[in-house]
Amino acid sequence: MWWQWAHWLPLAVLVPLGFGVTTPAVAGGDGGRAWRWAVLGSALAAATTLALVVRVAREGPFSYAFGGWNPPYGIEFRFDEVGAFAFVVASLGMLAIVFSGRYAEHALDPARIPYFYTLLLLDIAGLIGFSVTGDLFNMYVFMEIISLSSYALVAVSGERTAEMAAFKYLVLGAVSSLLVLFGIGMVYGTTGTLNLADAARRLGGVGSAVPVAVAIALMAAGFMVKSALFPLHVWLPDAHAIAPSPVSAVLSGLVVKVGLLGTFRLYQVVYRTGIVDLAALDQLFLWLGAISIVMGAFFAIFQDDIKMMLAYSTISNIGYIVMGFGLASKFALIGAAVHIFNHAIIKSALFLAAGAIIHQTGYRRLSELRGAGRGMPLTAAALSVGAVSIVGIPPTAGFLCKWYIALGAFEAGRAAFGFALVFGALFIFVYYIRMVNAFYFQEPVHADVVHAGDPPLSMLVPVWVLAGLCLAMGLAGKIPLTFITPAISRLLAPIGG
Amino acid sequence: METVDVRVLLAPAISFACSGLVFLMGRNVFWRRFWSLGAATLKLVVVMSMLPGALRGTTYVWRFIEFTPGISIAFRADALGMFFATVSSTLWLVTTVFAIGYMEPEHAKVRFFGFFALCVSTTVGVAFAENLLTLFVFYETLTICTYPLVIHEETPEALRAGRKYLAYTLSGGACILLGSALTYQVAGTLTLSKPGILPASADPRTLAILFTTLVAGFGVKAAIIPLHGWLPSAMVAPTPVSALLHAVAVVKVGAFGILRVVYNVFGVELLRRLGFTVPLAYLAAFTIIAASVAALFQDNLKRRLAYSTVSQLSYIVLGAALLTPAAACAAVAHIANQAFAKITMFFVAGSIQRTTGKTQIHELAGIGHEMPLTMAAFTVASLSFVGVPLFAGFITKWYLSLGALESGMWWFAIVMLASSLLNAAYWLPIVYLAFFKGPHGRGTGSGEARLLLLVPTLLCAAWVLVLGTTSDVPGMPFALARAAVEFVFKM
Amino acid sequence: MIGALWSNFDYAVSVVLFLIGLYCVIAKNNLIKKFMGLNIMETSVFAFIVAIGVVDRGSAPIMGPGARGPFVNPIPQALILTGIVVAVSTTALALSLIVRVWHQCGTIEADELRELE
Repeated sequence: MWWQWAHWLPLAVLVPLGFGVTTPAVAGGDGGRAWRWAVLGSALAAATTLALVVRVAREGPFSYAFGGWNPPYGIEFRFDEVGAFAFVVASLGMLAIVFSGRYAEHALDPARIPYFYTLLLLDIAGLIGFSVTGDLFNMYVFMEIISLSSYALVAVSGERTAEMAAFKYLVLGAVSSLLVLFGIGMVYGTTGTLNLADAARRLGGVGSAVPVAVAIALMAAGFMVKSALFPLHVWLPDAHAIAPSPVSAVLSGLVVKVGLLGTFRLYQVVYRTGIVDLAALDQLFLWLGAISIVMGAFFAIFQDDIKMMLAYSTISNIGYIVMGFGLASKFALIGAAVHIFNHAIIKSALFLAAGAIIHQTGYRRLSELRGAGRGMPLTAAALSVGAVSIVGIPPTAGFLCKWYIALGAFEAGRAAFGFALVFGALFIFVYYIRMVNAFYFQEPVHADVVHAGDPPLSMLVPVWVLAGLCLAMGLAGKIPLTFITPAISRLLAPIGG
Repeated sequence: METVDVRVLLAPAISFACSGLVFLMGRNVFWRRFWSLGAATLKLVVVMSMLPGALRGTTYVWRFIEFTPGISIAFRADALGMFFATVSSTLWLVTTVFAIGYMEPEHAKVRFFGFFALCVSTTVGVAFAENLLTLFVFYETLTICTYPLVIHEETPEALRAGRKYLAYTLSGGACILLGSALTYQVAGTLTLSKPGILPASADPRTLAILFTTLVAGFGVKAAIIPLHGWLPSAMVAPTPVSALLHAVAVVKVGAFGILRVVYNVFGVELLRRLGFTVPLAYLAAFTIIAASVAALFQDNLKRRLAYSTVSQLSYIVLGAALLTPAAACAAVAHIANQAFAKITMFFVAGSIQRTTGKTQIHELAGIGHEMPLTMAAFTVASLSFVGVPLFAGFITKWYLSLGALESGMWWFAIVMLASSLLNAAYWLPIVYLAFFKGPHGRGTGSGEARLLLLVPTLLCAAWVLVLGTTSDVPGMPFALARAAVEFVFKM
Repeated sequence: MIGALWSNFDYAVSVVLFLIGLYCVIAKNNLIKKFMGLNIMETSVFAFIVAIGVVDRGSAPIMGPGARGPFVNPIPQALILTGIVVAVSTTALALSLIVRVWHQCGTIEADELRELE
């Protein structure tokens, strides 16, 4: 079958990488041509990753050994259900790039546009690579590709605040990468291998648990900075709010997930070895997750800037996922893993819709955007769908996570955290209702907002595809849930099972 | 007997499609009215076509989509659900007619009728929900869909009321979500097709938490004191909204949810053993009396109606909590009895407001001379609430008192009596004021309300009489209520 | 305790270096100094990983005529080569950001920049 071709796996990374590097040369200074090239590249990447998803759904996880060198000696790419994040990355990345076409014309210096697409494609390549790699050090390398392109993307508008935000992001990002690298080094020092599966095998036999525990702590800390868990979130709001909207969608929907995916990979290595007791880490995740949910929502309430609000809501949602990790029961982990995907979709929908509104009206504060629902009904409706979804009103995508983590909380006997999650979500609703009120039910302040009109199709279509997905992923929740379940079952299977 | 039948899905789907069409084509007055009325009629026909089967004991089922592994969005029209669906789809048609007349001078009519249809779609979804999760999905959607209706006026006051409404109902929804999750954890299923799914062997403390969260969650919309705060504030909405949603759909969904929890999640036997419903019965009795007393002091007609609703809803809760067949009959039947009487009153309030601009009770002196038919309808509804025989409200009071005696808690029968007196004390003065007091100064000379407002009002009032006199006629709704009760009590 | 520290002297040094770097990142006011702290941290991690691969009296793992074991472990060295490339890119990006900040704001002191906002 077509999806069984072995080389899809490396191609998934190479395609966006290749298209990204060649964009400036192909474009020759023409922004439109760069856009078309980038759309093509990301579409091909999406097709490639789709082949991988089909294969993993039919056959279960599979590997690719580079140059015929089998693991643990060679470099391995390994694709499992969680790695299907690569498909989410490629398709959302494609939508963000499609959206950028008209957006970049306005927001960026024309000479920079080809490089903007290069950076976006590199980011996508890094994210795909990070999801499919089976090797600790390659994880670090892909993480750095993601981080470097993200730092640059935040600064791409060339405004002073953007550069400051990018620098803040860079410093914290670099520190966290080094923490992770330190941890990787320690794992290598104790086990003598960098291959994830091999490390998991060998960890069971190491003499002392102390270096392993330290390595886990370092890596977990690094990943939590990357995913902006409270109180390590300080870099996120500025960076995500100031970046151009399609970039915010990629950063908030996809790039913060690097930390969570990394944590998941870390779990896959250490969970079943029994060498260290992860109870303390679980406890920490639980509490930090709960605090993140509340604090993210709390800060968001005071924001008037619509993108700032969305950025803080990302912190809350990361809290859900981390709390799901901390509960460590089957339902909770499934809910958390699925929310990694769903939050990517929802938050991209929100950021792209907000970007379209900002692009059409030129305002970005809620108090100035009153009446936007009348001016641009389709975009505002998409934004409302996203808002309903992120709050977790059934039957949208956001609800699945709430339902599963609540189930997981009872399963783990930690009912209180289920309560925290469900009522924390209500808190989030407080600020989304402000947005809906401003768009639909309050007197307009600026007349041009009411007459703005919906954006061109190249922006509207991606927004509505995502908004439609917010609904579809909820209604057809069975599909992602059953898809991800084998990965969680393997993670939780008893040793030797 | 269960039959797979697509009509169960069609019933909510018709209104859903209707709202879509209204949003698309509603700028044109004709199409807006055409789709609203057409869908309302069609839906009533669909629901009514299931009625004969339901009375014969057939249950219609349709699985729509598997939502999460093992739990479907599924519809199932059992006797209780059919009863609720019949009431709400009948009232939808009547209210649509009224709303077309009432909303003419208002703004944003497309939004209004679009969300109006969505609300009814979700209400029927709740009625036909096969499992607790489906019920929750529609329950939450209903909350969201009513928000634009509550704040229709877009004034700061309306926005404040809307916020309060959401704060109460979404917190309630959160409780239900947790309760459902816990139910799934304990019972391993969420189906509502059995008379009780929770195992008797479960830990009583868990069951107590479960009962509290679920009842508190549904109790918000059922406006049990102290969870009733949103209802009087939400009266800022236009009258048809208050009528359909705040006397019928939203609040009844809460009461219906409590019935489902008591009869289908816990089951009568388990609850009798656990005794959780006794405090609930006391709370309901307190709500009946306290809300009636509060209603006495309201001068705004709609606010008095709101407190009366709070009081009347607790009849249903009390009926459920007494756990006897007679009380259960009263609880189910009161869904219809209260709905028709209350909607008559709301229609009257709306007609008066539209025709004369009056909203306060003391302004109503002599209004009966101007609008005799409207006020006659009001009188019928009042007498029903007081519980005069031959009116619908009497049936409820009779069976509820019987149920109280059956369960050995005779003092609840006294609560019924006290409530009747209080109802008389706050409704009859209005009737007196309207018919037997001369108008202050000159009358407005407005005359009767226009036909689009008057006809629905009279129809509902007539139906109150029909409900009150036909409880023993086979084929009438009361027979459906009996069927529901017989299933629940395994008779 | 002391003995354990002495036998793991190389590791201890890299931890100390890491902490010094972290201190610079947090405490220094000048953006370039902050970044130098980051470079110190990078160096410490690299040193740590290279130290893992050290074999007593081992020689560089270059095969060829006359090559004699024991060799040090080549993998960490290869890793760190990649790491250095990453570090250089980060440094370049950071410095270019700092240059632009200086052009636009006329200062690269963190507290003065905060006041400008």
